[in-house]
Amino acid sequence: MRIKDHPILSFPEGKTVEFSFEGKTFIGKEGEPIAAALHDAGIRVLRHSPRHNRPRGFFCAIGNCSSCLMVVNGEPNVKVCVTPLRQGMKVEYQKGKGDINAAD
Amino acid sequence: MMKNSAEVVIIGGGVVGCAIAYNLAKMGCQDVVVLEKEYLTAGATGRCGAGIRQQWGTEMNCKLSKASMDTFEVLNEMLGYPEDIELKQDGYLILAYEEKEIEQFKKNIALQNSLGIESRLIDPGEARKIVPHLNTEGLLGAAFCGRDGHANPFHVTQAYAEAAKRMGVEIYTYTECRDIEREGDRITAVVTDRGKIKTEKVVNAAGGYSDLIGAMVGLDLPVYSERHQIMVTEPVNPLQGPMVISFYHHFYCQQVPHGAFIMGQGDPNEPKGHNIGHSWQFLQELSGKITGTFPALKKLRVVRQWSGLYNITPDSQPILCEAPEVPGFYMAIGFSGHGFMIAPMTGVVMAELILGKDLSMPVHKLDLGRFDRGELVLEPSVV
Repeated sequence: MRIKDHPILSFPEGKTVEFSFEGKTFIGKEGEPIAAALHDAGIRVLRHSPRHNRPRGFFCAIGNCSSCLMVVNGEPNVKVCVTPLRQGMKVEYQKGKGDINAAD
Repeated sequence: MMKNSAEVVIIGGGVVGCAIAYNLAKMGCQDVVVLEKEYLTAGATGRCGAGIRQQWGTEMNCKLSKASMDTFEVLNEMLGYPEDIELKQDGYLILAYEEKEIEQFKKNIALQNSLGIESRLIDPGEARKIVPHLNTEGLLGAAFCGRDGHANPFHVTQAYAEAAKRMGVEIYTYTECRDIEREGDRITAVVTDRGKIKTEKVVNAAGGYSDLIGAMVGLDLPVYSERHQIMVTEPVNPLQGPMVISFYHHFYCQQVPHGAFIMGQGDPNEPKGHNIGHSWQFLQELSGKITGTFPALKKLRVVRQWSGLYNITPDSQPILCEAPEVPGFYMAIGFSGHGFMIAPMTGVVMAELILGKDLSMPVHKLDLGRFDRGELVLEPSVV
């Protein structure tokens, strides 16, 4: 779902880009929050809580709540609600609190 | 209602004050009050880097920290603590970048081994095996003790405080010591902002503010306070086992069980005083050092910074004694940045000292008089 007409906000149309989520290819608008593109693609679960493994969805939308931490291009703990979408991004679910690769 | 008299009044609700209170009560002295001007752990305890190591360069620091580690290992059970002090024993890795550091580490390790502390010198390759994300460029070697590690200072203090309270100790938070009254050379009462408590025995466990408490009984104590800044990152899955420290770079860095990295540094140009503000310069400087030594940590975001006070003595060893000029005024001060890790044993010996019992560990070398006598044994291993 994508809101095109809003009484207050306007949404400039970015160019269409491809990105992957969990290995599957999706399309979104360049520069929109990654979370918006995922929402449009029907993805409702963005994370699982580290302690009880409960599903977490789009919540605060302003980069505060940790509900949408995902792995983007190999980097853990990316707040997808405030991170702009770019062509070719690799978006994945994060396991637990996220892994830092010691070799990087 | 606050008590109006007590056998012992302890000033300071940090881990040291609470550990002394617990041990006093356990040894039969339950008429004890702890005064804390803010909340428990509000001072250095709750602001520290939360490492516990036995790798020290003086006999007393080694003995106190080893006995304290023995206690940390059984603390949950000993204090009947229903939660967990989050003890982690993945070691302390102390990096050496200069030949003279290697020489010092060899001396320290010989001393530590003679006291039963299982530390050893390792080469950069082995250091890299223990910490896979360590940049070993310029590294000559490292000292390592696998039994060192981490505990949660908030839980440890809470565990001591709850156990003390169960035995009758009264803990008054948000209660500030304003003055100590005397008649002749005897202490008669402690004046707080909530009233007066008659007592003949006072314990100065005020950490970074111990000089102010000393001044209340006319003592000009040989301690000063110095701000040390610290920061914490977002949590990630376990990556780094040991606490890694460097005296050359003046930093320490560990990953706590929760997953966050806690790191800080000593600034050789830091002025003396009670300032606990913090700066963006610190963030920039320490981030540079840490990501140089651990490149993988570049991906971590910093979530918070703060600072706390080291209470420093001329030899970086604590002062544990009764003031000769002021009978009944006891001191557990001047921990020089390592009070948390030796608090369990400090609590035991201070309680024994206050109650006139035989000491389970002789600490007479840590008296106030050593500074006048010039009998200083300098601790070389402080960040």
